[in-house]
Amino acid sequence: MMRHDLPSLHAITRRQFLGAGSLGLGALALGELGVAAPLLDGQVDPVAARSPHFAGRAKSVIYVHLAGSPSQLELYDHKPDLARLHGTPCPDEYLKGERFAFIKGHPELLRPLHGFGKRGQSGMELGDLLPQLGGVADELCLIRSMHTSQFNHAPAQLLLHTGEPRFGSPSMGAWVTYGLGCENRNLPSFVVLVSGQTPDAGKGIWGSGYLPGVFQGVQCRTSGDPVLFLNDPKGVDRAGRSAVIGSINDLNRIAADRSGDPETATRIAQYELAHRMQLAAPEAMELAREDAATRELYGAEPGASSFANNCLLARRLVERGVRYVQLFDWGWDGHGTNASDDLVHQLPAKCGQVDRPLAALITDLRRRGLLDQTLIVCGGEFGRTPVAEFRDGKRDFLGRDHHPHAFSIWMAGGGARGGHVHGETDDLGYRIARDPVSVRDLQATILHLLGFDHERLTYRHNGLDHRLTGVQEPARVVKDLLA
Amino acid sequence: MVACVVGTDGPLPLAESARRLIAERCLKCHGGVRERGHLNLHGTERASRPAASGHRAIVPGDPAASELLRRIAADDADERMPPEGQALTDAERALLHDWIAAGAPESPHWSFVVPVQPDRPAEANDRWCREPIDGFILRSLRAAGLEPSPEADRATLLRRISLDLIGLPPTEDELASFLADAAPDAYERAVDRLLASPHYGERWAAPWLDIARYADTQGYEKDGNRTIWAWRDWVIDALNANMPFDHFTREQLAGDLLPGADDRTRMATAFHRNTLNNTEGGTDNEEFRMAAVMDRVATTWNAWMGLSMQCVQCHAHPYDDLAHADYYRFMDFLNQQADADTDDEAPTMPVTTAHGATSIPVLQELPQDRRRTTHRLDRGALTSPAEAVAAGTPPALHAFDDAWPRDRRGMAEWLVASSNPLTARVIVNRAWESLFGTGLVATSDEFGVMGEPPSHPELLDDLAVRFREGGWDMKALLRELVMSATYRQAAVRAGPGIERDPTNRLLWHAPRRRLDAEAIRDSALLVSGLLSRTMGGTPVMPPQPDGIWNVVYNGSQWTTSEGAQRHRRAIYTFWRRSAPYPSLMTLDAVDRATCTVRRVRTNTPLAALVTLNDPAFVECAVALAQSVDGLQPEAAIDAMWHRALLRAPLDAERGVLRSLYAAERARYEAAPADAATMAGDGDQAVHRAALTSVASAILNTDEFLSRP
Repeated sequence: MMRHDLPSLHAITRRQFLGAGSLGLGALALGELGVAAPLLDGQVDPVAARSPHFAGRAKSVIYVHLAGSPSQLELYDHKPDLARLHGTPCPDEYLKGERFAFIKGHPELLRPLHGFGKRGQSGMELGDLLPQLGGVADELCLIRSMHTSQFNHAPAQLLLHTGEPRFGSPSMGAWVTYGLGCENRNLPSFVVLVSGQTPDAGKGIWGSGYLPGVFQGVQCRTSGDPVLFLNDPKGVDRAGRSAVIGSINDLNRIAADRSGDPETATRIAQYELAHRMQLAAPEAMELAREDAATRELYGAEPGASSFANNCLLARRLVERGVRYVQLFDWGWDGHGTNASDDLVHQLPAKCGQVDRPLAALITDLRRRGLLDQTLIVCGGEFGRTPVAEFRDGKRDFLGRDHHPHAFSIWMAGGGARGGHVHGETDDLGYRIARDPVSVRDLQATILHLLGFDHERLTYRHNGLDHRLTGVQEPARVVKDLLA
Repeated sequence: MVACVVGTDGPLPLAESARRLIAERCLKCHGGVRERGHLNLHGTERASRPAASGHRAIVPGDPAASELLRRIAADDADERMPPEGQALTDAERALLHDWIAAGAPESPHWSFVVPVQPDRPAEANDRWCREPIDGFILRSLRAAGLEPSPEADRATLLRRISLDLIGLPPTEDELASFLADAAPDAYERAVDRLLASPHYGERWAAPWLDIARYADTQGYEKDGNRTIWAWRDWVIDALNANMPFDHFTREQLAGDLLPGADDRTRMATAFHRNTLNNTEGGTDNEEFRMAAVMDRVATTWNAWMGLSMQCVQCHAHPYDDLAHADYYRFMDFLNQQADADTDDEAPTMPVTTAHGATSIPVLQELPQDRRRTTHRLDRGALTSPAEAVAAGTPPALHAFDDAWPRDRRGMAEWLVASSNPLTARVIVNRAWESLFGTGLVATSDEFGVMGEPPSHPELLDDLAVRFREGGWDMKALLRELVMSATYRQAAVRAGPGIERDPTNRLLWHAPRRRLDAEAIRDSALLVSGLLSRTMGGTPVMPPQPDGIWNVVYNGSQWTTSEGAQRHRRAIYTFWRRSAPYPSLMTLDAVDRATCTVRRVRTNTPLAALVTLNDPAFVECAVALAQSVDGLQPEAAIDAMWHRALLRAPLDAERGVLRSLYAAERARYEAAPADAATMAGDGDQAVHRAALTSVASAILNTDEFLSRP
């Protein structure tokens, strides 16, 4: 694979842009884009497929974000001591200087509310609420020692996806698209699918920040147009649309000949791509094209809007060369203030919605030979407290507050080490006891699996070379997670 | 060579070249953030100190003793510096050798030196020149063996100045009277008419709202609504009144502290109340108050000084000479206000506007006995306060005059002081960028060491000095630029410039570029006859697709505006930070979460889908077709083209349009239901539907979407 050093090419581009270098078409636009030199040859296409720093294991990513954050203590991190000490006050040593999002007063420990069992050849201990996922435990690389600096949803989601707890930085999908381009030029390179409500931090978590807008995630919708404004207006059929786009491009060719403006040539290409996308995107999003057995495997129902559908869509998209598919599922913020956000009713209901499709996604990618090149990541933006919340003193429902100090995330495929558990929390699951993994470590590891040195995947903005993993706290690739 | 840039008057001085090379290749590891091997190459004095190895990287005047020269030439890969990327070239090594041999003289970064007015170039006497800027441009062109392009035709010029100055294309009537005006000053009067138009303020407010991160919501999770549009109208009014930029600065940063403070100046301080406010449960108000204060520091520096201060929040600036404590000293100016991230956004003030009474958040200074003590924060963490600091400005820049109060007002005075090397340059450069596509400093958001040097340094300084000394007169600045011969060139790329200056940094032709998001929407509304010219007031909600606003915890609904409110200029569109108006975003508008000095223009298929299929644009195509449907097809097609592009179609263009009309007419005749859907019932439906297809094609031409 050709070695391809984005930062230095970027520098060359900038220098040529400002100097008397011999640039071809689209130089001005590319000066703004700051993308790699091969793109300078006439065809101004910032999302053309390109090679990373080294041969990566994964070619695409499906990131499943369970927005609100599920309880690791019911699903991934079994703590028998919590059952033993259930109802007792949380030891003071944990509470010194501690801030909670909602808990007030001295909280008490809360037992695991659902069972656990050992799954797969590896004997990975997983929650009984995820039986089907347990069936593919040997594909999972479970990290029990994740930690974050943020304990509110929006900043924690921003940190997870953009590396900064504030708005304004590019999302991981944008970085990956910036680095790798897209293999299918009839579809957006970075697709976002949302089941339920939009996550707390809004669209900033799939934005392009200071990267050019072309790298931002495109939210494909499961009802209405899959891409905004994809459908022709009522009264315009395909022939009509072809005629109009053909005429626009004929007119633009006349204009390009007169002005010599390379941007006009680019616009012609983009209108052609838009036209192809109008056909390709609905085809990719059409679940009815899947056979009944596959739909059954996921529990997908064409026409509905569901997490199961989004998992199947994610497979269809990566199969077609989409680089980064971001799934968000809403409803995991289990505070226990009522039956719709508690651990006894709501958590099993939510697990019932995701267990089968997640297992199906892994199984389906495996049988199609795509799992090794597709990295799946699944988790929330932080964890849940080992103590009960009991908001305003009400004890009718059981729930847990936001917990940044320890949580679990799993990966599968794409060069992640299957059947492996990394890290460990203390006996109460409060803090990390062994092998902590920060959010930026996770990001560095994901980029590594894609073939990037996270320190060299940079973009210059406001005079500084920015990167996903920041410059201050050194992030590291967690080698133990690699197959 | 690293810094040999076209347009400058010869190679850069040795010291400047050496400093730029060291910044580019060394400071990442041996600068303000990381002092690897205890080596900091910021300045000759620091670089001459013994490093961890005991060696001195630079021994001024003694190349043989300078470890830096040995390491950059080392054969051993473990020894060679820099360890990453290409080794330095022979020329680069020679440069550093010569610089050290010359005593390693320091050269202050160009933008930290106060501009002085340069001599007028001899070329200013050339017949081509109309304005002072033209002599500088012509000199650089001739130095490269180039000549300017001929002047653009008059219709193109009118369309250009109209789009540039008021963000709207001219009407056909405006064009007709301009073409009929044979007086020698017809162009000048057209410029003055546009500068006096109230639409001028609407157009020039948009980039300022990006800088001020203006939005109609609070941001963060709940992203609740915020009523602060009266400030947006203040900006439009101030620009229309041509408020001098120094006053514009003082009122927005310290309007409550000025000697003659009144309600108008106080409401201007809402500028810095556009920061995000977090009302999520359990949030620490102090944490988010501090986040807002830090955002004010960053925005102030980006907006006025063209320098990024964000990084200095956590550590010394890696490239520029700004210390960690400098950040917190400056922050103290902005840390003494009463607002505290509370749900009610206090303090607010009642405001009476032409659109009724409202109330907006403003800045209010804490009383003396409640002033906060500002600490330097280790790594920028609220939990790690270090020593207390007093309000002040960085020693690397111009001095803070003792005559100024040490508060926000003094801070504002410091920003617009004649001793400030940056603000005037930053502002004239931004105006230049708005009109010519690329700034004289291409990195208009970064004037520090890592920014690009100006293409025409003397021109930049000439403009900056005259702007400052001429009373910070924005309209006069823009007037000079658009009156220039440089600006009036045709936008045709032909001739030797394609080879010699492919990126047109020398401006051998007028730059064409796609319009900004707002101007694309507003132009389509104008030529289709739909545009409402109503100004100001509460934000409006033109049609947008369902489901954009299903953000959590926030019951607010997108209630599509009725009647003419659907067709207001884009600047009045309700701006929700977590879900901004989607078609504008696809056309590169920004979410306004943080200060944005420069939008990046993209050219994507998604933008094509907006102008083809967004119901707002379809509505424009329908209206444009309806306005001519009483004409025969050929005449109707020519009329729509002329309305949109202010010229008759060429024969080739006319051929394309007529073929499209014929094909669409045939298609709609075979599908009368489609024709009725598109153009209603009646015997003219097929004609009108086919004309609508032609209208849509016209509104999607590159020419319509571009500033010529």
